[in-house]
Amino acid sequence: MKGTSFWKWAVLALSVAALVAVGCAKKQTVKAEGAPGAPGVTEPGAVSEAPVKEAPAPPVVVAPAPPPGVAATEEAKSMFDDVRFDFDKSEVKEDGRKTCRVVADYLKKNPKAKMLIEGHCDERGTAEYNIALGERRATAVMTYLVSLGVPKTALSTVSFGKEKPLDPNHDEGAWAKNRRAHFVLK
Amino acid sequence: MKRSIGATAGVFLLALSLFPSTAFPVLYIDINAPGGKRMPIAVADVVVGPGDPSLSRGIPKILSDDLALTDLFDLIPPTAHMETVTAAHFSGKPLSFPGWKMIGAEAVVIGTVETRGDRLSIEMRLYDATQGTLLLGKRYSGAPGQLRSIVHRFANEIVYTFTGVRGVFGTEIAFTARSGKSKGKELYIVGMDGQDLRKVTDNRSFNLFPRWSPDGQWLAYTSFRTGMPIVYLRNVLTGAEKEVIRFGGSKTPGGFSPDGVWLYAGVSQAGNSDIYRVRVVGGASEKIAEGWGLEVSPSPSPDGRRIAFVSDRGGSPQIYVKTIGIAGETRISDGTGYATSPSWSPAGDRIAYTARSGGRFIVTTVAPDGSGSREVASATDGDCEDPSFSPDGRSLVYTYRKKGYSALKIISSDGRRQRTLVSGLGDAGSPAWSPGR
Repeated sequence: MKGTSFWKWAVLALSVAALVAVGCAKKQTVKAEGAPGAPGVTEPGAVSEAPVKEAPAPPVVVAPAPPPGVAATEEAKSMFDDVRFDFDKSEVKEDGRKTCRVVADYLKKNPKAKMLIEGHCDERGTAEYNIALGERRATAVMTYLVSLGVPKTALSTVSFGKEKPLDPNHDEGAWAKNRRAHFVLK
Repeated sequence: MKRSIGATAGVFLLALSLFPSTAFPVLYIDINAPGGKRMPIAVADVVVGPGDPSLSRGIPKILSDDLALTDLFDLIPPTAHMETVTAAHFSGKPLSFPGWKMIGAEAVVIGTVETRGDRLSIEMRLYDATQGTLLLGKRYSGAPGQLRSIVHRFANEIVYTFTGVRGVFGTEIAFTARSGKSKGKELYIVGMDGQDLRKVTDNRSFNLFPRWSPDGQWLAYTSFRTGMPIVYLRNVLTGAEKEVIRFGGSKTPGGFSPDGVWLYAGVSQAGNSDIYRVRVVGGASEKIAEGWGLEVSPSPSPDGRRIAFVSDRGGSPQIYVKTIGIAGETRISDGTGYATSPSWSPAGDRIAYTARSGGRFIVTTVAPDGSGSREVASATDGDCEDPSFSPDGRSLVYTYRKKGYSALKIISSDGRRQRTLVSGLGDAGSPAWSPGR
């Protein structure tokens, strides 16, 4: 039985191959013009893939624009200074700590306030690494605020990596401004 | 019954494998010989049946432009062609090979095309002009809008015939750029020949890190359109989307496993990014590599058993290779400076990454064991970053950046030839080369 079905399949397969080959070989003379054994349009190698019939490719559907405001691309105004960082570093330096103490006082006096800490990087280096570095910067600031007595529930973080520079220029002055944590009251 | 089907498949494979030896061309191009001899090839005007007469030159132009991208061919200009190909050449009339040889052609391509309603039929043939033999013949049919893709396919066949390695024509590059005056970044796709540039997303938020699924149907990417980063899978044909990674803070998709089951990504929890893999269906996740440092940018090997990724555990970002499921990781960058964004070649033999040299970023490749490091792309006036290999491993696309200017460039993996793929878009970056077509 197994043998029979094998042959059934084999015969079917070969007849399909033959059909396709015949389909391709309407112009029999193609074979005649090459040297013996030259692969013609009828070459069996072509059977497996010819004729190429691709599914029609529908055009790319562009997603409708969301309502304005969710884009997160605009710099949110802040009543607090940014915390600045050194290149490829996430330590909160003394300047930044001073700012953090101001932020912590505010949050302790306003227990209902929720603060989003954005982490940002300068344009140097690859986007992926900078996204992770920005997250680490934002988290370093959050950790310091918690150590000053701010409840963790009042705080959240997001990293924009190098995507959202405060200063669009391409020099050390701009880079220094762009390596920052930015406070946004929610 | 199962066995019978297997046996049937065997018959097919046997039938196919009987012929490559007879089909093995006398003409052959050694792709591993730099500056080796190029194949002089003539692409004749195509015979147009019913249909647009401009295809007569249009099809040879697409094909010639493809072949010219490879550095493997010398194209004989159409003005030198002496023989006019006619419909009779597709029904038995032989080409005048001495005439083609006289103008220097060792290979000749002829073709015929007809459009009936919304059906396009193309027959293309490749001849060895020195032997007068047919090397390759294919008949394609499709919708008129698929013309370019059909010609790209035949160009891939020509490259395969002469080199034994399939060409990459018709593949695409996904990347990110700012759209107009928007501060956001959208996903774009462009053909590897620089044609068919199109915008994929349009939400004016940050849409970052496009990564192709192995079947070329989906892009994984991070979008901030809800205000927080989420990784989505987007069908590039239909625009359908689904969420894949919501947990954690920052998210940087790196690449899919070759079977398409897993998406590898860097995901941060409590500020510390580690490497995870997430099931594309179902969403279950596993941590693959971790440390006190930042771990990002996982790039799976073509056999799916290893990943290359970035970690700054040693004090600066460096490239490490890890076998999945086995403890231990090997650093393959030199440990100095700044090394990020690894891309494992689909050929398996090299890993490209961004290195820092003399204050500039450059593209370097290295063997997966860390040996044989080689600079591929650098510029004295700007940075070369974010490499992604072509499906045949013979080229790389990367970002060139100089102050406010950015462009995507394609360079041969030996660094000898390069061209600009895209320029003029704001802050273009994160290019990802699609799988083979």
